[in-house]
Amino acid sequence: MTEAVSDFNLGETIVFWVCGGLAVLGALGMIISRKAVHSALFIALTMINLAILYVANAAPFLGMVQVIVYTGAVMMLFLFVLMVVGVDSSDSLVETIKGQRFAGLLLGIGLGLLLTVGIGSALTTSGDIGLTAANDAAGGNVQGLAQLMFDDYVVAFQATAALLITAAVGAMVLAHRERWTPRKSQPELSEERFRDGGHPGNRPSPGVYARHNAVDTPALLPDGSTSLDSVPGPLRARDDVRDVDPADVDEIRELTKGVDS
Amino acid sequence: MTEPGIFSLLWVLIALPLAGAAILLFGGRRTDRWGPYLGVLTVCTSAVIGVLMLLGLMALPAEERSITQTVYSWIAVGSLQVDFALQLDQLSMVFVLLITIVGALIHIYSLGYMAHDPDRRKFFGYLNLFVAAMLLLVLANNYLLLYVGWEGVGLASYLLIGFWQYKPSAAAAAKKAFIINRVGDVGLSLAIMLIFVTFGSVTFGEVFGQVGEASEGTLTAIGLLLLLAAAGKSAQFPLQAWLLDAMEGPTPVSALIHAATMVTAGVYLIVRSHVIFDAAVWAATAVVVVGLITIFMGAIIGSAKDDIKKSLAGSTMSQIGYMVFAAGLGPIGYIFAIFHLLTHGVFKAGLFLGAGSVMHGMNDDVNMRRYGTLKGLMVITFVTFMAGYLAIIGIPPFAGFWSKDEIIHAAFERNALIGVATILAAGITGFYMTRMIAMTFFGKARWEEGVHPHESPKVMTIPLIILAIGSTLLGMALLFWGNIESWLEPVTGFASEPTPFPTWVYIVVTLIVVIIGAIIGWVMYARRPVPIEAPRGSWLTRAARKDLYGDAVNDALVVRPSFALSKALTIFDARGVDGFVNGLAGSVGAISGRLRRTQTGFARSYALSMVGGALLVALALVLVQS
Amino acid sequence: MEFISPELDYAALAPMIVVGVAAIISVLVEAFAPRSVRRFLQLVLVFTTLIGALVLVVLNSGMRVLTGGQSIALDGPAWIMQGTILILAILGGLLMAEGGVDPSGDAFAPRASALPGSEDERQFTIRGYLQTEVWPFLLFAVLGMMLFVASNDLLMMFIALEVMSLPLYLLAGMARRRRLLSQEAALKYFLLGAFSSAFFLFGAALIYGYSGSIAFGPISFAITTKAGENTLLLIGIAMLLVGLFFKIGAVPFHQWTPDVYQGAPTPVTGMMAATVKVAAFGALMRLLYVAFGGVRWDWEILLWIVAILSMLVGSIIAISQSDIKRMLAYSSIAQAGFILVGVVAASPQGLASVLFYLIAYGFTTIGAFAVISLVRNASGEATSIRDWAGLGKKSPLIAAIFSVFMLSLAGIPLTGGFIGKWGVFAAGVAAGDAWLVIVAVIASVIAAFFYVRVIVLMYFADPTPDTAAVVIPSGFTTVSLAAGATLTIALGIVPQPILDIIANAGVFIR
Repeated sequence: MTEAVSDFNLGETIVFWVCGGLAVLGALGMIISRKAVHSALFIALTMINLAILYVANAAPFLGMVQVIVYTGAVMMLFLFVLMVVGVDSSDSLVETIKGQRFAGLLLGIGLGLLLTVGIGSALTTSGDIGLTAANDAAGGNVQGLAQLMFDDYVVAFQATAALLITAAVGAMVLAHRERWTPRKSQPELSEERFRDGGHPGNRPSPGVYARHNAVDTPALLPDGSTSLDSVPGPLRARDDVRDVDPADVDEIRELTKGVDS
Repeated sequence: MTEPGIFSLLWVLIALPLAGAAILLFGGRRTDRWGPYLGVLTVCTSAVIGVLMLLGLMALPAEERSITQTVYSWIAVGSLQVDFALQLDQLSMVFVLLITIVGALIHIYSLGYMAHDPDRRKFFGYLNLFVAAMLLLVLANNYLLLYVGWEGVGLASYLLIGFWQYKPSAAAAAKKAFIINRVGDVGLSLAIMLIFVTFGSVTFGEVFGQVGEASEGTLTAIGLLLLLAAAGKSAQFPLQAWLLDAMEGPTPVSALIHAATMVTAGVYLIVRSHVIFDAAVWAATAVVVVGLITIFMGAIIGSAKDDIKKSLAGSTMSQIGYMVFAAGLGPIGYIFAIFHLLTHGVFKAGLFLGAGSVMHGMNDDVNMRRYGTLKGLMVITFVTFMAGYLAIIGIPPFAGFWSKDEIIHAAFERNALIGVATILAAGITGFYMTRMIAMTFFGKARWEEGVHPHESPKVMTIPLIILAIGSTLLGMALLFWGNIESWLEPVTGFASEPTPFPTWVYIVVTLIVVIIGAIIGWVMYARRPVPIEAPRGSWLTRAARKDLYGDAVNDALVVRPSFALSKALTIFDARGVDGFVNGLAGSVGAISGRLRRTQTGFARSYALSMVGGALLVALALVLVQS
Repeated sequence: MEFISPELDYAALAPMIVVGVAAIISVLVEAFAPRSVRRFLQLVLVFTTLIGALVLVVLNSGMRVLTGGQSIALDGPAWIMQGTILILAILGGLLMAEGGVDPSGDAFAPRASALPGSEDERQFTIRGYLQTEVWPFLLFAVLGMMLFVASNDLLMMFIALEVMSLPLYLLAGMARRRRLLSQEAALKYFLLGAFSSAFFLFGAALIYGYSGSIAFGPISFAITTKAGENTLLLIGIAMLLVGLFFKIGAVPFHQWTPDVYQGAPTPVTGMMAATVKVAAFGALMRLLYVAFGGVRWDWEILLWIVAILSMLVGSIIAISQSDIKRMLAYSSIAQAGFILVGVVAASPQGLASVLFYLIAYGFTTIGAFAVISLVRNASGEATSIRDWAGLGKKSPLIAAIFSVFMLSLAGIPLTGGFIGKWGVFAAGVAAGDAWLVIVAVIASVIAAFFYVRVIVLMYFADPTPDTAAVVIPSGFTTVSLAAGATLTIALGIVPQPILDIIANAGVFIR
């Protein structure tokens, strides 16, 4: 790979076009899709394809880290969060600012063109150097990275610790809810539950007659009404409860006709 | 030359009123009782030191009459060396005397005039601040320090114009003075920068020593920028509009700042920089043109205003026009510009204080159509005002005659046409000043009901008397006893050119024109009854009442477009974020999904602007690459 | 292959190590110290650390070293900027420590996690909870800034940028009053900040593609040796500059500024406005001069454009603002433009003038925000300019001090702002940018208008029933305010000591 552009072998060319194309498609899909889950999956697609390209370009460590950290850890965390929020929830894509989309498209294309043309023309005139020499110098890709990280960039490496600590403390500060009352014991809790005359048992789970697997979709009761109790409190508080398709209600009513009468 | 004897006190001259200002302004109510007297004391002490310095300076041979005192090194970085240094020479000496002596008189007068004002401690604090800044302006030995004083007098001036803040007109006038002066300040700061870049120094001596090495183009640019600065501070065309409104301030302020001292700072600046103007013919010509236009504008405005202070303000513009005009004439005029500045400082201060005394007796009414026949009721005010009147229209042997006559003569030395113009303007001066005294002191009483004109207390009339004596004698004293020409010559240079007629011809012609103007004024305003409602008047009168549309022009060309631009940019910049935020503040409890979406909406339009910016940045780099 | 352990100049790194270690200790204090003593411990820790680090910076100020490979340059300008950042952080920290102004606690939400308006929040407020995590955030932000001005390598610079920014995003969202506004501001700041960081990273990658290195020295070498095609370089510079322009708040990357300045707790706004300007301009100048000095003629035009846009847009929009914090935000945009005039000069004189300007601006800004935190009405800070009417009558001293700050920002003589402005403008003219300076002077005239408008309102208007009252602060704010006011005036009257220090510092090392 120290040679000029024309010396790419066929396999590499195919990998580039396939993975590159998929990565771009994934990126586009991420922006266009309405549902957050789809977006997250599209990012994962892009990430994996980028990882393959990294490996193909003699940077196996980077490729692996990309898969393990981004696709594996970060994206899965995203998906967990989305599960809690409700996989089916989708944001309105109606643009409220006049001209925003058009201007965004225009400027985006402009910047894209400039970068493509600029970088493209620059790259065609200069040959590529590749990583082989760098990798060989330290006895391998991972060793080379280690060398840099613990030698020249040791301060930078240490400084990222500050970043991670800040992030962790920040997440705690923003999300961790401290109690200002003593924690209630089990007897107290059960006593309380019965005292106010509410529903003493478990709440219905969204799975009962549910036609969706999302937590924001309430369970349907046998009589065709919805049970708001089946939706987690925070979603109800935020008014994020999904409406139930009337067709589903009719169908349930049909199915349960005569069962409880 | 270092600072022997009395001259080592040079810094004290400034420090005294500055300390006074600090004590009065920061001392709080504790100083209410004795504060004003302290304010008077500091300025009077400075005046005494000033007189002692004059004696000291006169004892020195002419070529040694320039004393520099370096207080400390102010800024020294690389090639820029600026000392906090004061320079006393013949030119600054006369200014020091004008500022401290007239300043002291006006401080004393204010003790009476402001006796009943609840904020008079602050008033004296501001006046002290002004005196300190003005002294710094004229004593600075470099342009940067001069600029400090320049801004300082501006600051004091705004504070004093807006002193009676409960009048919305006063606050508006202060703001206007500030804005227009800033335009002039642009000129000064650019000029200083250009001077520094061209000469590598901002110290007067070093700059003037190297003027020969600079190109005429650069010098012209510096000269025009200095002219812009002078026009702002001295209310010259086209930056004249603020001076008339500045009359909203208390009358002693109008007398001290907007007649005698601060507004002449522009003239000082031009004369101080005369070396530059000598080498830049076009800049000097521009000075003449600006001066000439303002002479007439001021005179016309002065002829039409019914407000006694505004009429005097128009007259001030016109008289400063004379000084600027003279300063533009070059070595034949510098000395007379300063000469007229001194006599004008005294007689115009007297006229303003006289007007203040009249207003004091007339329940603060300023409308001359409501005055009339006051001569018997306010004898001292009347007599002293007459001294000022005779001085300003230039009747011998009063002070103004000598100085104005010299300027007219100098104009003829240069060009007969501009000479004739100055004589004509002198005639108009005769007209409007006669109109003023006719409407105020003669004719029939047209007072408002319940007004009982009375003479002012002694603390006010004594300064009037002193200034009247000055108005009468100062011209002769300076010319014959003080020998002002040879006194100033080492600083400003002096030249004289032949004129086609002997000097007395110009004097006689000028006098005849002035007297004709005065007679017209007398016939129109003393012999005929003056209507209480102002007649509609000719188009010129109407225009002049509106300050020759100075405001309208400013408004249409500058004010309205800039506000529109600001509004438009705001909308463009935030797309109503302000409105949104205000709504949010009003309904903190109401969180709704809709609101949340609008929030991210704005973040995305910010992001859009960043993308646009990135495109701009990249294009700017790639397209202009060398 | 044998690993040679790196040689680090621990003495030179000591100030940063002290701040970094203290930040970690500060986190541990949060974790293990009982709540009742946390605030006290944190205050002792933070101020000892900052003062200690400042002492170390002063002791080190003679050093001129490259360390950590070539990734950190500790030279004269770096020491000056680190020292300035530390002093400003001390003053800003004093504002953050103020506990006597708001009747219910300090300037921060009792618990940032409690929903605004909820019962939880009310209970935390009643119980006097304080979010003491702001202190480790402050220390981490200071660490990031100190590293930012010393970064001599694109990777180092990026990490420093993030270490500096992340705590600031968090701090901006933790206001006690008007919490929704504060959280909205923090989120916007975070999103846009991340966006600008992406540009920076992209630029770093392109520069690496061009020069084969991310250290400034080799980049500069590549520029001088590689002739011809440099589109890649220029686009890389452009992308890097987007990231830095965002941090200094230059137009058109400025729009976060008013929202964040308004939304963030006022002590944080003051601290951030002052220190981030120093840090970001320090990094910008090192990047432009050391790495890209060879293509100065290419980026000069760009800086012209951005400087002019910033000065004009900032000062013009500031005129029509009705909120004092928003007004100061737009003012900071305009000030960024003025400072850029000195940066464009690209001369030792320009560098010195920018350093002075940053120092003067920092003290003035902290002082101005200190005053804002004191002017209050029943619902918290009275940031509507209308409510300041007649303040000169009600609280003459505070009004006078605020006037000094406004005059300094307007560049009126005998204040630090005047010397600063004069310095950068003179440097601009000397570098041949006369037209730029003319625009700058005109913009400063426009800017003077809105600064003086506040003074006019305070002195020339009568107090209304809405006029805010000035709260008497505890010693923390008093010290900070007094230092800000004293230094603002001192820098105008006797600037020489600071000018000498700057002159002795010399230029960036390579």
